[in-house]
Amino acid sequence: MGNISYEFPVEKDDFERAGEASSKIKKILRQLGMDSGIIRRVAIGAYEAEMNLVIHSLGGTIRIDIDPKSIIITAEDKGPGIHDINLAMKEGYSTATEKIREMGFGAGMGLPNMKRCSDIFEIQSIVGKGTKIVMKMNLKDGD
Amino acid sequence: MSNELNHSVILREDKCIGCTSCLKVCPTEAIRVRDGKAKIISERCIDCGECISICPNHAKSAITDDLSLLKKFKYKIAIPSLTIYGQFPSNIGINQILASIKRIGFDEVVEGRLGADISICLIRDYLFKNTSAKLPMINSNCPAIIRLIQIRFPDLIPNIIDIETPIEITARITKTNVSKKTGLDIKDIGVFFITPCTARVTSIRHPIGIAESYVDGAISMRDVYGDIVRNLGDNNTSDLGERSKESLLWPIAGGQAAALGIENYLEVDGIHHVIKVLEELELGKLKDVDFIECSACTGGCIGGPLVIQNPFIAKNRIMKYVRRTDELQCTKEKLNDYIEMYKNGFIRLTEEILPKPVMMLDKDISKSIQKLELVTEILKNLPGLDCGICGSPTCRAFAEDIVNGENKKAICMIKTMNGFKTKKI
Ligand SMILES: Nc1ncnc2c1ncn2[C@@H]1O[C@H](COP(=O)(O)OP(=O)(O)OP(=O)(O)O)[C@@H](O)[C@H]1O
Ligand code: SF4
Ligand SMILES: [Mg+2]
Repeated sequence: MGNISYEFPVEKDDFERAGEASSKIKKILRQLGMDSGIIRRVAIGAYEAEMNLVIHSLGGTIRIDIDPKSIIITAEDKGPGIHDINLAMKEGYSTATEKIREMGFGAGMGLPNMKRCSDIFEIQSIVGKGTKIVMKMNLKDGD
Repeated sequence: MSNELNHSVILREDKCIGCTSCLKVCPTEAIRVRDGKAKIISERCIDCGECISICPNHAKSAITDDLSLLKKFKYKIAIPSLTIYGQFPSNIGINQILASIKRIGFDEVVEGRLGADISICLIRDYLFKNTSAKLPMINSNCPAIIRLIQIRFPDLIPNIIDIETPIEITARITKTNVSKKTGLDIKDIGVFFITPCTARVTSIRHPIGIAESYVDGAISMRDVYGDIVRNLGDNNTSDLGERSKESLLWPIAGGQAAALGIENYLEVDGIHHVIKVLEELELGKLKDVDFIECSACTGGCIGGPLVIQNPFIAKNRIMKYVRRTDELQCTKEKLNDYIEMYKNGFIRLTEEILPKPVMMLDKDISKSIQKLELVTEILKNLPGLDCGICGSPTCRAFAEDIVNGENKKAICMIKTMNGFKTKKI
């Protein structure tokens, strides 16, 4: 008791529904009466993770675990994995194609932003297997 | 009923047959059918009037002010909505309509174009470059949209342009001028808006973004239409005077964006379409737009819940005038005056617009988590048809109502019937 989880599948290249999972997460947090500060942080983190699944991965899931003290977002995909995590974490680094950039993505800011808005940020990736990102946001005083 | 004090939209129980037509159209899930009658959850209602328009039994109606309210004031001013020009056949002139409104019992009739022109000049020539609002800016003049944003899109509050509505601007300037001219106290001057809009009625009583409205009453256009027709004189001069093309276009969907001369704009009308667009905006998908013109009503204010004329016909009539009018000229002096009025807060939204977390399950986060767990649990056992037969708009709302203890006699008919079907006889 006292905690709740949801999981949302995210499809590769599904631009039409892209953002739906983070939108639903936001709605849930509002319904729970969370403060706008933490809602914003969670929404940014979830949205960036969701977009990376759509754009760079073969598909996966976004999961959210909520308890009265913290929120954990987990993004997990089934490939292709990231070769050099340190490089991927650099601001401005992106392998997005020209087409994706024209769509307004590919600034190479997603991962750095995810890290910035979480209290604990973990990324694991195995090439050929997939990537797992865990973001933990603590509810602060006033949140 | 507390609803009557806080809202324009009300339910006439005697006419309601509990048909659930209104449940689905309500954009904030503010309606439930209980004991065979619709009920409006007051804090969720944004007075958009969707339920008034859809109700086949005319059980939803609007509380507006009565003409008897005029007696309270020594000097009475009418501001007819800009939609008025589309409500009469073309052979009746604008001045004829205005003269007739005056005969109903007003000392003066002032057109909302006064405020519309100021608003257009200010936004176009000043605010657009100097705004404190986030881009894309969202128009501030539709109160149903502002309330929708407070409830469903609180993150978009900073995008709302902080300028008063044309009606409020018109009321403020006119009242001040009349007071100077006549020596009367502001309190003795009554300004009445002839309204096509239920949301406006509520925002006059409970303004958002300003401390107090200078409008003293809102009279339903439907209520006075007969009086206007009866008092029509025969001076049907077609003189359009100083009216600007832009102010005539204002109440038509897309008219504001056109008036503002903004190239990169998005126009959306009809509250459910607006919700779709605001959802995209909230996701950050509309970074490449400068201005979003939202109207809760289909077609813009000419589609308001209290108009007489079908909005398509009204548009045709207004467009005839538009073709014959000149464009708005905004001189530097005038603009400077307007900027001054804006800066000193006379025509600006000076009060903070706050989010309204009415969808919240509980004030205590631990409790609301528990409630949400329960909602999820109940939902697993519901068919997910969102049929509304239970009196809640969706299966999810049904589950939430149970968890919140609101729906004591909750029954899902579909589930009960399926239960019968699968029972072996
Ligand atoms: N789930 C993933 N699977 C495989 N590669 C990924 C994944 N997420 C990120 N990457 C790689 O890391 C790079 C950096 O990601 P990041 O989110 O920071 O930027 P971006 O997605 O390219 O651009 P932006 O997020 O600013 O639109 C990506 O270009 C991509 O090569
Ligand atoms: S579109 Fe116009 S008439 Fe309709 S709710 Fe908004 S302001 Fe009122
Ligand atoms: Mg990214």
